[in-house]
Amino acid sequence: MKHPARWVAGGIAVLLVAFSVVLATQVGSDPRADAKKSQLAGKDTPKFRVQSLDGKELTQADLAGKATIVNFWNTWCIPCREEHPELTKFYARHADDPNFVMLGIVRDDTRKAVDRWMQANKDAWTVATDPGGNAALAFGTRGQPETFAISPDGLVVGYQFGPSSAQDLETLLAAARGGTGA
Amino acid sequence: MSAGSRRGWIPWILLGVLVVGVLAWALWPSGGQSDAERARSLAHELRCPDCESLSAADSQTASARAIRRDLHERVAEGQSDATIRRAYVDRYGESILLKPEQGGLGFLVWGLPVLLLVAGAGALLVAFRRWRSAEPLQPTDDDEALVREMRTGEQAS
Amino acid sequence: MKASLGVLALALGATSAFLGIAVLGWGIRRGDERLLRLGRRYAFMILGASALAVLAMEWALLTHDFSLRYVAENNARSTPLLFTITGLWAALEGSILLWGLILGGYLAYMAYHFRKRATDPVVAWAMLVAYAVALFFFVLMLGPANPFKTLASAPANGQGPNPLLQNHPLMAFHPPMLYMGYVGMTVPFAFAIAALVTGRLGEGWLTETRRSTLVAWGFLSVGIILGAWWSYEVLGWGGYWAWDPVENASLLPWLTATAFIHSVIVQERRGMLRVWNLSLVVATFCLTILGTFLTRSGVLNSVHSFTESPIGPWLLGFLAVVTVGSVLLIAWRGDKLRSPGRIDSPVSREAAFLVNNLLFAALAVVVLLGTVYPLLAEALQNRQLSVGEPYFDRMTTPVGVALLFFMAVAPALPWRAVSGDVLRKRLIVPAWFGVGVMVLAAILGVHSAWTLLTFGLAAFAIGGIVRQFAIGFRAQHAAGATWWQTPGRTVRGSPRLYGGLIVHAGIVAIAIALAASSAFTTKTEVRLNRGETATVSGYDFTYVRRDVTSTAQKRQVKAQIRIERNGKNLGTYAPSVSMFPAATSAIGTPSVRTGLLRDIYLTLVSTPTDKDRVTIGIAINPMIVWIWIGGALLGIGTIVALLPARRRVVVPPPPADAGAGDGPSGNGDGTDGDGVDHDDRDVPAAVTA
Repeated sequence: MKHPARWVAGGIAVLLVAFSVVLATQVGSDPRADAKKSQLAGKDTPKFRVQSLDGKELTQADLAGKATIVNFWNTWCIPCREEHPELTKFYARHADDPNFVMLGIVRDDTRKAVDRWMQANKDAWTVATDPGGNAALAFGTRGQPETFAISPDGLVVGYQFGPSSAQDLETLLAAARGGTGA
Repeated sequence: MSAGSRRGWIPWILLGVLVVGVLAWALWPSGGQSDAERARSLAHELRCPDCESLSAADSQTASARAIRRDLHERVAEGQSDATIRRAYVDRYGESILLKPEQGGLGFLVWGLPVLLLVAGAGALLVAFRRWRSAEPLQPTDDDEALVREMRTGEQAS
Repeated sequence: MKASLGVLALALGATSAFLGIAVLGWGIRRGDERLLRLGRRYAFMILGASALAVLAMEWALLTHDFSLRYVAENNARSTPLLFTITGLWAALEGSILLWGLILGGYLAYMAYHFRKRATDPVVAWAMLVAYAVALFFFVLMLGPANPFKTLASAPANGQGPNPLLQNHPLMAFHPPMLYMGYVGMTVPFAFAIAALVTGRLGEGWLTETRRSTLVAWGFLSVGIILGAWWSYEVLGWGGYWAWDPVENASLLPWLTATAFIHSVIVQERRGMLRVWNLSLVVATFCLTILGTFLTRSGVLNSVHSFTESPIGPWLLGFLAVVTVGSVLLIAWRGDKLRSPGRIDSPVSREAAFLVNNLLFAALAVVVLLGTVYPLLAEALQNRQLSVGEPYFDRMTTPVGVALLFFMAVAPALPWRAVSGDVLRKRLIVPAWFGVGVMVLAAILGVHSAWTLLTFGLAAFAIGGIVRQFAIGFRAQHAAGATWWQTPGRTVRGSPRLYGGLIVHAGIVAIAIALAASSAFTTKTEVRLNRGETATVSGYDFTYVRRDVTSTAQKRQVKAQIRIERNGKNLGTYAPSVSMFPAATSAIGTPSVRTGLLRDIYLTLVSTPTDKDRVTIGIAINPMIVWIWIGGALLGIGTIVALLPARRRVVVPPPPADAGAGDGPSGNGDGTDGDGVDHDDRDVPAAVTA
């Protein structure tokens, strides 16, 4: 073959162009796009065990038959603090609904900080700590705040990564309710 | 081979035997991994969810700790490596695994480098063979004339 | 005002680069010597312009001028002075300013160093290419990555730099060192392109740029080691290398540059491997740009990622043009590059260098593929994947061990060919040492085959290095040097060889440290009450008290831990957690007791809210300090290798029992009696073809 160096070089040039094209398609895409969706969508609620602030143990069984919003949060993350007034507004609207439960699970924080927060803010919905981080693991959380919507028959039907507005929460709740027409 | 050079190989053969022996001893299957070791090696394969590229074994975050604890429990329950990996992929997606799959697209990272290395080694061997058998360059008449010219030029100046 | 000054300086730089290209281009076209001589002066203007821009930015930082967006985002009134200065490279736009400054410096060096050959087309083309690179970066800074953007209303206080970037003085050294390495690779690249374009492909361009390549390589090596040190001492996760995409991006050009440093010697001696060496030089530069692209475009996740910016497509475009253009140039000149050289024997130093190159290329392929695999998976199959430690360790360890073997053997291999007898005689003592260490390690409880092999080969390599130094010393001493003068004289007799051996010794130290720390690290956590002592691995740890310090910059909580062993007090160490006002979470800082054999690594597991109780992480990491010692050796070896060789004095052959062989001609040793194979001396600049 005449000028093998030329052929090799030509082939390498083609490969490089292809590589550049591949890189170009990835510019502007979010490498952690999978973090924005939950792998649990459509699956059963994972088994978890958390402790409410008054010492009671709560598991996924306690959510059965109710449309549930589960919110992972803690006291030091800034988006959580941004989200907090929205959560309060949202809960106030639905607090009287017997078929609705809102559960706030603390992720990666100390009990002392949570107690201090509750003293200052007096959140009305159920707040639980997650000793051992098992619930955070069970739900596949990667950070906080993360919010899940669970239908009355125990299917995860909605997910929001990052702070939710009151509107987002309403959408999640509608998904939870509309899950099986219950 | 002269008697001298044959004798020269003896210490090397001895060294080789020692090396092979030690390696064989090290590689001898020693009854599998303990539970703790299995949990730890699995922790190395899982990415800490809060981190960018640290493994759950290396990271100090709360979620990495939770994963390590969870792995200990699962291993103690007797779950297989594949089951545990699948459970994590179910919850976090494929990006939780730090080790690419062996088949399919994973060939790009596992197979291709090996292929290229073997191809390169092959090319080197071919090149060595070609060099060995090639005639050494002989100076041509033109070369001799050129050298003579330069020499006389030097002597003249 | 500072912003305008900065933008003006950047515009000046861009214009100078553009004019430089125009003048040189025209001068080359017309063969006009006056234009060519004029063209090199633009390099100094570029240096001046980038220096002015950097000064403008530093001025803005030091005066906390928050009307500049960059200052508002990376500086605060409470930021300490050192971190205000280093704020120049704390984020993307500023880091490109630094790149521009260093590039200006290298350009000025090129213009000055080659001033007597300014009319040589190779030099002219090289300057032109370098100007083109500079022009690209200036355009970047004037366009998408403008560091001098102003805010409509200046905030009262800035956000301050990322907490991780104001935690440790290393911030002042690690990025500049790395950039000196990265940017330095532009010089050999410029000369490679110049040689291709002019068709002057003889050995001249190699010797022109060998020194710059070595200097850039030295900086890059030290920069990478400093990064590992940062990871270990500052980030606190207990490790020094995470195979993070940005770390890999710095490793890739280092791998190809190391391969080049070795194969360039083969080209100097035998005129072979021209295409390969050109490709290596081009690849090294392209990998620096690829690395810049990967870290600044946001395509990959990394702890180092700069915030996303529109700079990605520009860098990608530049990368594509440079890479494809260079490959096409090589293809065009391909027929001119075949050389008739050959390597006489597979058991020769040339052959060992070829194998070295193959192995380094394999390492580069592995690291590159592993780093970009997530991108490929996303593009081809829309899957999100990760690649981490298990892959890289598994694939690089065998190649690394093979490289250790060749590193041990190659210095004993003479050029051209060797008889089996000579080679066996040279290697037998180091080999026994290596196997001895391996057996000893096995007896002492090392059970991993790779670790045993690494220890054995490292000892083998050290044995060879010591042997080489010993022969040199003995010969100089026999020639009349006192013991005091001997080391200096030996090294100055052949600085390239001994510099290289010192660098190899550094690599061996690092290899031992890597093997030992990955095999023997232990980690535990203990909860201690005040005054309580826990014993871990023979050391006693006592929680003394908690200290809280508050400055404007941060609030730091330290736990004082006293370490004792066998009753002897080893000192009090204070791992800490710092809270910065603008940050969402606390930053932990470890406290490390460095020892020759092992480090004791203390971390605070969580912020101690209770002053009487603390949970600390205790890790015992063996041999870590040898990584830093190895890094220092890399730097020292590079400096030694750059020293000019002393004029060779013919040394009378040593007495027959000196062990260097039977005189200058007898044994193929190639020595003159001073124990050094003098074919290693600097080859004078060859006549260019």
